[in-house]
Amino acid sequence: MPFLKRPSLAAVGWGSGAVGFVLLLLLPLGFLLYRIVQPPSENWNHIQEYMLLGYTIDTLTLAVSVGVLSIALGTTLAWLISAYTFPFRNTLKWALLMPLAIPPYIGAYAYHGMLNYTGFIQRTLRTTFDIEVSQRYFDIMNIPGAVFIYTIFLYPYVYAITRAFFARQATTLIENARVLGSGPVRTFFRIVLPVSRAAIVGGVTLVMLEVLNDYGLVNYFGIQTFSTAIFQTWYALDDLNSAIRLAGILMGIVLVFLLLEKVFRGRQQYSYTSAKASPLKPQVLEGWKKWTALSFSGVVFLLGFILPIFQLLYWGMLTYEAIFSAEFVSLIRNSTIAAGISSLLVVVFAVIIANFTRVASGWFSTVIARFTVLGYSIPGAVIAVGVISFFLYAETQLQLFYAYAGISTELMLSTSLVMLVFAYVIRFMAVGYNSIESGFEKIGRRYSEASRTLGMGWIKTFFKVDLPMIRAAVFSGFILVFVDILKELPLTLILRPFNFETLATTAYRYASDERIQETAVPSLSIILVSAIAMFVFHILIEKEPN
Amino acid sequence: MHVQITDLEFSYGKASNAVVQNFNLHMNEGEIVSILGESGSGKSTILRLIAGLETPSQGKIGVGKDTYVDDQSGKILPVEKRGLGMVFQDYALFPHMTVGANILYGLNKWKGPARRARLQEMLELINMTEYRKRYPHELSGGQQQRIALARALAPQPPLLLLDEPFSNLDAHLKHRIRDELRETIKYTGTTTIFVTHDQEDAKVLSDRVVLVDKGEVKKTGTPYELLKETTVPQGIGGAQA
Ligand SMILES: Nc1ncnc2c1ncn2[C@@H]1O[C@H](COP(=O)(O)OP(=O)(O)OP(=O)(O)O)[C@@H](O)[C@H]1O
Ligand SMILES: [Mg+2]
Repeated sequence: MPFLKRPSLAAVGWGSGAVGFVLLLLLPLGFLLYRIVQPPSENWNHIQEYMLLGYTIDTLTLAVSVGVLSIALGTTLAWLISAYTFPFRNTLKWALLMPLAIPPYIGAYAYHGMLNYTGFIQRTLRTTFDIEVSQRYFDIMNIPGAVFIYTIFLYPYVYAITRAFFARQATTLIENARVLGSGPVRTFFRIVLPVSRAAIVGGVTLVMLEVLNDYGLVNYFGIQTFSTAIFQTWYALDDLNSAIRLAGILMGIVLVFLLLEKVFRGRQQYSYTSAKASPLKPQVLEGWKKWTALSFSGVVFLLGFILPIFQLLYWGMLTYEAIFSAEFVSLIRNSTIAAGISSLLVVVFAVIIANFTRVASGWFSTVIARFTVLGYSIPGAVIAVGVISFFLYAETQLQLFYAYAGISTELMLSTSLVMLVFAYVIRFMAVGYNSIESGFEKIGRRYSEASRTLGMGWIKTFFKVDLPMIRAAVFSGFILVFVDILKELPLTLILRPFNFETLATTAYRYASDERIQETAVPSLSIILVSAIAMFVFHILIEKEPN
Repeated sequence: MHVQITDLEFSYGKASNAVVQNFNLHMNEGEIVSILGESGSGKSTILRLIAGLETPSQGKIGVGKDTYVDDQSGKILPVEKRGLGMVFQDYALFPHMTVGANILYGLNKWKGPARRARLQEMLELINMTEYRKRYPHELSGGQQQRIALARALAPQPPLLLLDEPFSNLDAHLKHRIRDELRETIKYTGTTTIFVTHDQEDAKVLSDRVVLVDKGEVKKTGTPYELLKETTVPQGIGGAQA
């Protein structure tokens, strides 16, 4: 008779916090579903008949091409860096991550500027070599151009995950293959790629989700994807109803991708915790091979980081005097406030939920954990329409309540920062949660148990033992979310309060106004913060003993 | 009887097979009892049930005048109210606190001067007064073990629970530590349950041995009575750590 069994106080305590938060997180998505089953507006027929196929084709073409190219680029680079030594390998190891510090839309501004008629490439050709090349060879504002930009700035997801896998898990297999006389090419295709399938699939899924999420680049290039379509239907046509339907379809595409991820990953895991594998011993490359490896990875780094950075720095020097002003200070303040508040909330919620999934095992906490990380796969435009429709509804109800209670107030949730912060928290919850959960995983439960046997209740135990022990994880979770929010564009554009400009929206605004040079300073500020954060994390991870 | 454990029963999650069943143990004050059993026989689980880290599905646990668990009244005393001392297999010393802070941790309800005096007393007991300001990672395995013991004994627990306290130590170190441990426990007069799969440990340390298998008591007696019969060929019964 298990009548003595009942959930512990700690489980109930953390659990109610976790459930409350997850419900809040699901509300906007619930509203999306509810609105989708409403009858369509008259625009919808037109959209369905003439536009929908185009949106689908462009969106899928982009996501799939970028996915394939990122696998090719990311795994090749990861393999070169892990399996061989050649000049500058140790620098390139982290340098090849750096393109991730540049959001694709900013990369797009830089490349467009470099390549257009007045850009430095054509100018150099004209003035120094007196060559006039047909303009169309330099047109990057099309689908192939977008694929190039996305790939060169997003491949590091595949590179980072795959390299970590090579370094920690695949060593014995690869060394065995070498001992058995398998040459490098054969080892790569027959052993390395198959065993790291799960890692590669995990990385490329992140890349494709980023592509589906992006709004800044496709809008700038004038490509019709679901993200741009959702914005247009909503702003230009003022048709929230159809925007919600488009969001629903985009969400369907995301779900298909996630399902494919599951299928392709199979039962493989790519967690690093289990095996205590020693890192792969790299082979020394000699002669032409050495130079090929160096120039290949060097060119990628050049294209993905150095060139765009130099372009931006050059523009920055031309424009900084005009940009550095009181207005710029307010941009930094806005960005910091929005990102700071949201990251703080993310971290607090993540700690509560991770604690709950730690003390309570079983299906319920698994479901809670799943919902918590859901937001990261949902494109910004979808979250935005969900949050908007939720707030519009909530506001109507509040107005009714105010009228009933006789309160007169100007307070509008939907024009305040609340809505934007709410959306940020939904979208970036997973980033904070994963960091904090891995922190908890590292310490396990025995320290809290020791504290409980020494007479501390669960709340005191949390503040005296758990929290200080995971503070590094909490801190890194905060920084990761902060940087992600700093770069974020679609949510910020739609949900910010009137006249609330951040670094990202300002870069976007200058680019849309064809004042491309002025994008440099806000863009560089974003890149600088991301690059510093990434560099610090790279150092920390490399230092980690296991 | 100081410790009264009757008809304890427990299984993890929804698993149908009980990890602990019909477990009974009665102890006098100041007695040291070893629970001896093979890996997976449920020894750690029994300690976790007594400590309150798991809740039994059935049974009674009482220590001193306190009832910890009673399936008749449905009473369950939470872990932190039991005031037991527990030394974990890997010690679980808080890495972000000094040795002193670790030992003081369980004394948070004591008054200032009494706390400081108790800390000093415990450090002297284990001969480590000069290590008060060190952090756990700056100590050897044997020193960590002694700190863990001091931390558990500091609040004067009515019952001390030790889970394989030697498993992380080198063999030569173990003998010395084992003798010290017995001395310390006997000196403080603490009633102790000690879990091991090593007969040698059980023999040296305890007044009485309880043999468990599949969470059930198979035999009980003095180390001399019990281990005489079972130690025929050296090493059987998991004598090697
Ligand atoms: N958290 C858990 N969830 C499910 N089953 C568990 C859990 N902990 C232990 N068990 C199972 O309960 C049984 C008893 O485990 P326990 O840790 O009490 O054994 P033990 O005697 O202490 O073993 P050892 O000497 O190896 O420490 C084992 O079969 C184990 O697999
Ligand atoms: Mg055990």
